[in-house]
Amino acid sequence: MPLSTQSQADDEQYVLVASLDNARNLSNILKAITFKDHAIFNATPNGLKVTVEDSKCLQANAFIQAEIFQEFTIKEDLVGFQVNLTVLLDCLNIFGGSSVPGVSTALRMCYGGYGFPLTLFLEEGGVVTVCKINTQEPDEPIDFEFCSTNVTNKVILQSESLKEPFSELDMTSEVLQITMSPSQPYFRLSTFGNSGNAHYDYPKDSDMMELFQCTKTQTNRYKMSLLKPSTKALALSCKVSVRTDSRGFLSLQYLVRNDDGQICFVEYYCCPDEEVE
Amino acid sequence: MATMSCVLEGNRVKVAPYCVAAFGKAIHALSRIGEELWLDPMVKGLALRSVNSAHSAYTCFLFSPMFFQHYSLGSGSEQGSATIKCKLLMKSVLPLFRGLNSIERNVERSQISISTPSDRVTIQFFCRHGITKTHNLHFQESEALQAEFASHLCPNVLKAPARLLGDMVMHFPVFQEEITLSMMPLSVSFRNYCEAGNDHMKMMYTEMSLHPDEFDYFQVGVDSDITFCLKELRGFLSFAESHSLPVSVHFGATGNPVRFYIKDMVLEATVVLATLMDSEKRGPSQPIGPPHPSSPRCADAAALPAVSYEADGSKPQDIPAVTELITSSQGSPIINPPALMQLLSPVDDPDRLSVSDEACPSATTTPASTMICSLLFRALSSEQDDDGCAARLPVLACHSDAEEDMEEDYRRSPSL
Repeated sequence: MPLSTQSQADDEQYVLVASLDNARNLSNILKAITFKDHAIFNATPNGLKVTVEDSKCLQANAFIQAEIFQEFTIKEDLVGFQVNLTVLLDCLNIFGGSSVPGVSTALRMCYGGYGFPLTLFLEEGGVVTVCKINTQEPDEPIDFEFCSTNVTNKVILQSESLKEPFSELDMTSEVLQITMSPSQPYFRLSTFGNSGNAHYDYPKDSDMMELFQCTKTQTNRYKMSLLKPSTKALALSCKVSVRTDSRGFLSLQYLVRNDDGQICFVEYYCCPDEEVE
Repeated sequence: MATMSCVLEGNRVKVAPYCVAAFGKAIHALSRIGEELWLDPMVKGLALRSVNSAHSAYTCFLFSPMFFQHYSLGSGSEQGSATIKCKLLMKSVLPLFRGLNSIERNVERSQISISTPSDRVTIQFFCRHGITKTHNLHFQESEALQAEFASHLCPNVLKAPARLLGDMVMHFPVFQEEITLSMMPLSVSFRNYCEAGNDHMKMMYTEMSLHPDEFDYFQVGVDSDITFCLKELRGFLSFAESHSLPVSVHFGATGNPVRFYIKDMVLEATVVLATLMDSEKRGPSQPIGPPHPSSPRCADAAALPAVSYEADGSKPQDIPAVTELITSSQGSPIINPPALMQLLSPVDDPDRLSVSDEACPSATTTPASTMICSLLFRALSSEQDDDGCAARLPVLACHSDAEEDMEEDYRRSPSL
């Protein structure tokens, strides 16, 4: 493969080199968090974390562990930069993104450090494309201070059961209300739209409910416009964990299997719109 | 397959459809006609109706109580009194039934309740894995739609499996607005309707003829060409095909409305469409009748005056009054501004139409319970007014609060 013929010497200049035989293993998961143009990349020896934020109320993170990559070399403990995510995705799909089996785009992503562009070497069918994307200094991702000890309610559902309701949510509703309770209705999604309201109830003993740990009844509302993008992550995932903490902050964690069956994670954090007792 | 139950208690109607997908398919068909859905729970069953904005297409689906696993009406209500008539926006209801495949896979039971105190229609889907979807929709109290169509006065009757009609209609492109059905003693033909003025070189003309033997029933009383809106019929035909039901078609001379009707043990459905007054065109070179530049052609029918028509010797007073009269419990008056004649059933004597003004007052005072109220039977209640005044009432689908608007509608050119 042409990419592998790059001389070792070239690599000396990069602080981060990550290679994938199938660029879709990166592009698919990035699509799940592309609701804003810019993304913060943070790489550590453990892997890559990509963060997208919206109006200081919503944060989405995609985690791609080092093991997913065919090659993952990092020279520092933490390498961070910011790029235009839309441009990055366009480059990753530069060969048209067809899903013919056996044909995939290979990727070699290289970063020289502060001040350098993000360089992508993409190859498919013997054709190589080099893309250089300007980077910016990374913003500090918001710390939502969401910690496990503060979690009041947690459920894990099979994504299958949520996909349809999420895709048919009444978009005339400004909010998505989530009720979690140790008693009826256990887990409920509600919308309040122009024609009326709708409720989706998941009982705690449903066979779609893998885990149900609710300690107190909580109802929180979140802006629909903030949560709707999470539908993409839901569509890719097989399981989702929904957690709320004592402040009503929401954490959604999606377990995503990529083309090769490897596991990646996407998580969304969202501030409540208003407290509803 | 989901089981259906309909429970009514208090002042509420609760329905759990026998086959939710069938109910959903009816909603789809209704949505092709109008933007509002009238729900009318009656002793005879639950009627769903819609009418288009030009009032040139009307449809009614009546699900008898047997369609439901459980069906009950508000307690303490006598027949017809204090029943709920509610009107919903189609765009509120249709999304709930959009994914018919998904409904068939996932929905085990559905329950529909109508509650007047809270002005809500509650539609619940009990799905697999214990998941419940509850939708509470606001409704408006409304006069029920009324429609009359004297099918038995129609000289032309066809009955064919839905499949046959579906196969005919399939040959017309989706954008084809109107088609012409021509009936002659030895054949029935369907062709697309083309307005003169269109570039004939770009049009594709399609015509199909059928021999009377193709039909389960064929009765030709008068040669006629009727041109009606196909788009509005497609949803109905699709429903009929999915239930493998034969479709009856009743119509008369050019310009008179046409009725399509299906029925089985547990449901019946009807579509009444206005037809163009001047659909004698047989080819591209024929000139069109009165020009209505931008209005949809079917709606043009609405602007045209009533045509008196010679029935085959049958006179209204010899025949029991109108076959179907779906009335509101409030007994709202039946409006007949002259412009609404497009849905008139054939009547012998146009003079009788003026009688309907006098007939109207009595119609308003007749309690709903004494009037015919079911499509299911297509029979006439013996309690119908003795003077048969209903037969002389103009056939139309309207709601009484829009009478002033109707006059306006027909002056200008409505767009579909």
